[in-house]
Amino acid sequence: MPAVAVPVSSRPAPLGAAEPSGFAYVVPALLLVIVFFVFPVAALLLRSVTEPAPGLGNYAELFGSTTYLRIFLNTFLVSGLVTLISVTAGFPVAWMLAIMPRRLGRIVFAILILSMWTNLLARTYAWMVLLQRTGVINKTLMAMGVIDKPLELVNNLTGVTIGMTYIMLPFVILPLTGVIRAIDPAILQAAALCGATRAQALRRVLLPLALPGILSGALMVFVMSLGYFVTPALLGGTANMMLAELIAQFVQSLVNWGMGAAAAFALLVVTLGLYALQLRFFGPGRAGGL
Amino acid sequence: MRLRTTLASLLVSAALPVSAADMVFTSWGGTTQDAQTQAWAEPFTAETGVDVLQDGPTDYGKIKAMVESGSVSWDVVDVEGDYAAQAGPAGLLEPLDFMVIDRSKLDPRFVTDYSVGSFYYAFVIGCNRDAADDCPKTWADLFDTEKFPGKRAFYKWSAPGVIEAALLADGVAPADLYPLDLDRAFAKLDTIKDDIIWWSSGAQSQQLLASAETPFGSFWNGRLTALAESGVTVETSWDQNITAADSLVVPKGAKNKAEAMKFIALATSAKPQAELAAATGYAPINLDAPSEMDPKVRATLPDAQDAAQVNADMEYWAAHRDEIGTRWYAWQAE
Repeated sequence: MPAVAVPVSSRPAPLGAAEPSGFAYVVPALLLVIVFFVFPVAALLLRSVTEPAPGLGNYAELFGSTTYLRIFLNTFLVSGLVTLISVTAGFPVAWMLAIMPRRLGRIVFAILILSMWTNLLARTYAWMVLLQRTGVINKTLMAMGVIDKPLELVNNLTGVTIGMTYIMLPFVILPLTGVIRAIDPAILQAAALCGATRAQALRRVLLPLALPGILSGALMVFVMSLGYFVTPALLGGTANMMLAELIAQFVQSLVNWGMGAAAAFALLVVTLGLYALQLRFFGPGRAGGL
Repeated sequence: MRLRTTLASLLVSAALPVSAADMVFTSWGGTTQDAQTQAWAEPFTAETGVDVLQDGPTDYGKIKAMVESGSVSWDVVDVEGDYAAQAGPAGLLEPLDFMVIDRSKLDPRFVTDYSVGSFYYAFVIGCNRDAADDCPKTWADLFDTEKFPGKRAFYKWSAPGVIEAALLADGVAPADLYPLDLDRAFAKLDTIKDDIIWWSSGAQSQQLLASAETPFGSFWNGRLTALAESGVTVETSWDQNITAADSLVVPKGAKNKAEAMKFIALATSAKPQAELAAATGYAPINLDAPSEMDPKVRATLPDAQDAAQVNADMEYWAAHRDEIGTRWYAWQAE
């Protein structure tokens, strides 16, 4: 990994370097985290091994059933696909945003942000209406004679992937724009002066320099996708169920909190594991400027 | 009426703060709760001076959490009948005070020690006349993909309705439905699984039918009435319509128990029941309510179709709710 100067306006001093008396300032925040995060999570874990009977029965049922395992796999499959497409499609947009004149860039930024502020449910319903067999996309394609019977774009993997990618794109584009903007344009000029073609400059200079931003954006999208609920519930068929839906069913419909807690805890462990990987490889200050 | 809680919670704005003199009524949101506010809560406030704060959507996980923690902020909750029948004996609900609530006037099908009906509805076969050459008339038709090709809509959540429809379609007589033969029901459902689009909320079911994404399917009768009023050419078949009820319950440890009992007494009395039915298209559970209603409105309600009615057995569902639910969701995800 090449040493890259990532601009972080005020990089926090490592905790260990703080003066001993500084710890007092952390206590309120720490208490908040303990009361509202650590304690409920511990209670959740406790439920998963005590309800309905003490032991690891819930976990055995969760990992012993092919149906539940398929839901786990599907969750990773969808999250992976969404991450891949978001990064691939988000990179050129971020690049464009970074090199655009500031004023124009701000307008495009505003459009991106506006889409994030629109109600999630409304946006998801809109995709449902666009993608369904009698929807605008299928009707237009059929009228143009491109297809003679409607494409199955919704209630399956395609629908979830399209809907979630749309929602996740800003989460890649925003941090990535910051990272690309911080790359000194002179470096690209230098590459050109040294005889690099445009493709070479992209592949061997820009991409490696933007890599930390790409990876942290990708990780964020992946982790967010793992726990996503609304979009898969509305745009995916039941055969493409994701973990968050399963948890909601256990908690709300079946009121089986033991199983719900076990599934939620399994998801949490995976997410924390991924976060640890990020910290290990990129450090806390490298989260792409977010 | 059951809207999917988590989805619906995004539509409903933040819960209102509650002061001591008020009581809280929780239901599923949407037009049904609007109608409940108008037909029940407003006259209740006018009569007693107690403000009724509306909250929602109903969430069984929340009820359990409130009762377990001893901090119950809901006083009266609109729940599904099978949940009420299970949660009462499980210790999650207050027994109702039938000194305050007049049990003698209520449809006995929907009364237990812990719950009274809220309104009742029917799963019927709905069809978009403009989109389908021919409309399915029976459950057997709806399960016949050769005679009626195309996608069909069914209720997504584990609840009385779809399993009964599958068994009726397979030729089981209404009298022999219970105990449900789950193996047979799922085998029947397997034959049309690829042609099912599941609806998770009433609004979604209307969107599916109106856009002809599914030209036909199984729907709540009230949603079809509303769709027909909005100009969609809907054909409804009441043949073997499957009825189930929502129930009103008081969570164990509710802070305003006395007000809650009075609220239920008013909500289940004849005139408020008649008004709710007229506004929603669902049937009243008070036996005197029909005489308070316009005969033309009455003719569109499930209680005018009782000859064709098949009653979902709430007692059976209450006893097997968990088992059926677990199997149902696993089957869907397969």
